[in-house]
Amino acid sequence: MTTVVEVRDLSKHFGPVRAVESVSFRLEENRIYGLLGRNGAGKTTLMSLLTGQEFASSGRIEIFGESPVENARVLEQVCFIKESQKYPDDFKVKHVLRTAPWFFPNWDQDFADQLVTDFRLPLDGRMKKISRGQFSAVGVVVGLASRAPLTFFDEPYLGLDAVARQLFYDRLLEDYSEHPRTIVLSTHLIDEVSDLLEHVLLIDDGRLIVDQAADDLRGSATTVVGGREAVEAFIGTREVLHRDGLGGLASVTVARLSDTERQAARAAGLELGGVSLQQLVVRLTSGTPTDFEEKSA
Amino acid sequence: MTTSTLPAVATARPLPRRLGNVIRLHLANPFTILVTPLMVLGLIFLINWVIWLLVRTATPTDPDTVADVSTGLQYSGASMWTFVYMMVVAIMAMNLTFSLALGFGSTRRDFSLGTAVTFLGLSAGWALLYTGLAMVEKATNGWGLGGAMFNSFYFGIDESWGVRLFNAFVAFLFFFAIGTVFGAIYVRFRARGLILFFLALALVLIGLVALATVTASWGAFAEFFVAIGWFGGYALSLPLSLVAGVAGHLILRRATPRS
Repeated sequence: MTTVVEVRDLSKHFGPVRAVESVSFRLEENRIYGLLGRNGAGKTTLMSLLTGQEFASSGRIEIFGESPVENARVLEQVCFIKESQKYPDDFKVKHVLRTAPWFFPNWDQDFADQLVTDFRLPLDGRMKKISRGQFSAVGVVVGLASRAPLTFFDEPYLGLDAVARQLFYDRLLEDYSEHPRTIVLSTHLIDEVSDLLEHVLLIDDGRLIVDQAADDLRGSATTVVGGREAVEAFIGTREVLHRDGLGGLASVTVARLSDTERQAARAAGLELGGVSLQQLVVRLTSGTPTDFEEKSA
Repeated sequence: MTTSTLPAVATARPLPRRLGNVIRLHLANPFTILVTPLMVLGLIFLINWVIWLLVRTATPTDPDTVADVSTGLQYSGASMWTFVYMMVVAIMAMNLTFSLALGFGSTRRDFSLGTAVTFLGLSAGWALLYTGLAMVEKATNGWGLGGAMFNSFYFGIDESWGVRLFNAFVAFLFFFAIGTVFGAIYVRFRARGLILFFLALALVLIGLVALATVTASWGAFAEFFVAIGWFGGYALSLPLSLVAGVAGHLILRRATPRS
């Protein structure tokens, strides 16, 4: 395994706001990472730090073994597609696509042309006027065609319709298998990308709370479904992550079960289900009230 | 530890290539930076031409009057707006193009240097255009109407063409430089920083005015500028431009793109 990113005790404070707080992790070469977390959790700030756009308050960042800050050698190998990227006034889609290849040594023009056709991008549309989905698609095209060894997508599919999102996942996977590289996808729409992700970094309130292989994370909890009494009897004193119920039925999420426990549950007539990444993330990061909870309170 | 860190990545592409990319990025949409100002300049020229025609038909045609009107027209400031426009170009470049350049993986240093080269080149281009048109204006006796837009009093009408080219060049450079520093302050310190900067600048200027008044040195002040002439006056802007350019560079070194 080769480490392409190493972050140690990284913090970024904006006045009293601790946007990123004592974060440490490594990214290995040629994997797809999910950087998950709620809005304002610190995902964009973290990626801005990794790409030298923001300056760290403390801690260390090494990208390909070197600090990325003002380092042309490193930054040429990195592509950061920022959800809130600013473009010069009057820049049209074609200007973005004309200028991007100058900056990325691995740029594949044929691939870019194909993507422009796939996403039906209006080349003469002004970046300020095109729809949010088209704006995102421009970023997707640049991010994929740049073939940067380390590529960050910050909320890449904001506003993309279902067809375009599917297109993004398909093209990303196809191209990734032909040209392996390290990709970090940041998002709060987790279920849709869940299958793409090999490893998950979950950030909440500036802190890294999960750094785990996606499969391990999915297996870390089980939902037990059945008659209320049978479920309660099985659960006993186990820690309950989540509880749902309807009439005499109950659905309870508990931490990982051993094989014996699974057999016992089935013998008791209970059904065992997986837990989606999204559900897990919701449970792990809902310590503070969500919009929904606030409204229903 | 089973992991190993990658050996250093391939060396960066050479500096001229990286600066060239920044320059090309500034000029990628030539409409804003070149075509629009040229079109507006052309339009202003047309309007001026019509005015000259009206003046010519409405005034007596004896040589003295014609020469008098012609001299008066040399005080026209019709070509001056381009300087302000270029200052705005510089401000926008610092704000938005900076953001995109960093998004494309450029370093702040490369962006700063590439931008400086771009602005030097644009200043030279505009100065050549202005001086060239002034020569045409003079050769055609004011486009046949005794008009003056480029053969303007403000670039030193009795100076040699070389000096006038220099004057126009450093004037453009000055406006690019102050646009650079305004833009850089905005990107780094946002609107509040810009307001504080202008307040401080106003205080300094008022202080200087007060100083000149109290010490009764306005006469000496005027004499100084008369003595150094147009060339000296324009040359004096060079250190100011240099300070503004370097300040812009230093401010940008710790700036982060706006989002």
